[in-house]
Amino acid sequence: MSPAGPSGDRLSVDALELLRAIARRGALARRLEDGVERALLRSIVEATATLFDAEAASIALFDPGRGQLVFEVAAGEQGQGVIGLAIPPDQGIAGYVYSTAQPLALSEVERDVRFGRGAAEATGYVPRSILAVPLLDERGTIGVLEVLDKRSSATFSLRDIELAGVFAGQATVAIRASRIERDTAALLRASLAALVQPEERATVEEIVRLAVTDQDRDDEGRLWAIVDRVARLRAADPGELEMLVEILEVVARRAERRSDQRRRSGRARPAR
Amino acid sequence: MSAEALPAWSEPFVENQRAGLKRELPLGRLERASLFDGADGAGVTVAIIDSGVERDHSAVGGRLVTSVVVELPQAEDEDAIVRLDPDAIDVVGHGTACAGIIHSLAPAAQLISVRVLGPDNRGKGAIFAAGLQWAIGQGASVVNLSLSSRSEAMFPIFHDLADQAYFANCLLVSAANNVPGASYPSLFAAVVSVAAHDVADPWTWFYNPAPPVEFGAYGVDVEIAWKGGGSVVATGNSFAAPHVAGLAALIRGRYPEATPFEVKTILAATANQPA
Repeated sequence: MSPAGPSGDRLSVDALELLRAIARRGALARRLEDGVERALLRSIVEATATLFDAEAASIALFDPGRGQLVFEVAAGEQGQGVIGLAIPPDQGIAGYVYSTAQPLALSEVERDVRFGRGAAEATGYVPRSILAVPLLDERGTIGVLEVLDKRSSATFSLRDIELAGVFAGQATVAIRASRIERDTAALLRASLAALVQPEERATVEEIVRLAVTDQDRDDEGRLWAIVDRVARLRAADPGELEMLVEILEVVARRAERRSDQRRRSGRARPAR
Repeated sequence: MSAEALPAWSEPFVENQRAGLKRELPLGRLERASLFDGADGAGVTVAIIDSGVERDHSAVGGRLVTSVVVELPQAEDEDAIVRLDPDAIDVVGHGTACAGIIHSLAPAAQLISVRVLGPDNRGKGAIFAAGLQWAIGQGASVVNLSLSSRSEAMFPIFHDLADQAYFANCLLVSAANNVPGASYPSLFAAVVSVAAHDVADPWTWFYNPAPPVEFGAYGVDVEIAWKGGGSVVATGNSFAAPHVAGLAALIRGRYPEATPFEVKTILAATANQPA
């Protein structure tokens, strides 16, 4: 990589601001590894199932890559079959609640033969009652929380809907935190792109990929340390920008080395 | 999130809170009998913007006259596409539930189904708005909206549509959304916003003088039509709204020239007085 010359205008204040945000978010993201997020969501559905005294509770999240609602976690013996189930976001009760952000409670669903058969085929369990509430953040619906078969009552009340909404709110907070990690890739890409010539975009992609997909924790830690150093140059004077360029060259060389290693060991992943 | 953050739109309409709805109406109360006895919604068209309506479902009574589906355009800068849905399907069951409730109150009203469930976050607000725009353009007297959008980007679009409907003598009946934060168009002044109460009676409705949610209607443990000719029992503001849409259809049937403002006034003047 031969980065752009250290001219202050190319290295925009915005880009440095973004890098700083990455450093902050990167530190947070590492604490929110996939397992942690899942554990958090699982604890929320478990608390939901316990509080409602329900046979099962689950959370489905919209996966933009697949264009489907995917059940990520579930609580209760009867709920386990639903994990991994992917459904179109405009179909079924979860799909309706996802599409409309409108909470919904249904009971005596087992009376509906078609419903029962569909559920049994998909999850191995036919509920008698379902409560579904949307997981909402500022921009819209990100998923659905479902509660199946409250044991103490054949139906769900308005209070139940509101209470489930509180749990859905907690889940949304947890998910939002984990999504910061995903945003990291976009931030890193945007800020590095502002620092290099257009023909070096491939290098940027490689750095981004390294930063967000590499499983080597040690290496990732070092990369974040570099990003952190970059971020501290927020108040950089022109002389310090030279150093920034050097830092980015180190990052780029490292990216090249890792991608060579991967090619040699046959671990290359298709470009995303 | 604190419990206080919840809007709890149904709260004013539950039994131990209803006394708060008591008030003197400035123009007095209206006798229901003179307005509703013998009314059947004849001559009124009600559009149901939802998941579709099953034309052959017994709860719909053969009153579904048109069924369309709204789809995302091919290119981002194009308008959404509204096309006829000759099979008149309901992908969930929810729209059929709303149609069944409206038909049970206004059996002679014609029903139009506008299926608007979008495939993802990007499209659903635009699809919903395009469906609403189409329904207004069709001259629907009443539109049932048991759904809403939370997208800030959609705020001006829905605001404009709510005004368009209001000035076109088209009454929008919108289910309040029992979740924190704004949702459109249910919180606009030009629409009739509805939450559920807990009295198991389609002929019980309450007027709440403290907006944004002005009406409480039957929405707890309602026996509703569902997909595949079936039925289930359901709870939600989704099912309260079509009760008010059905009542509005009866009023519009009796007074075809009544404006949305007048229909709302009649609904308030005929609402149940809390005990």
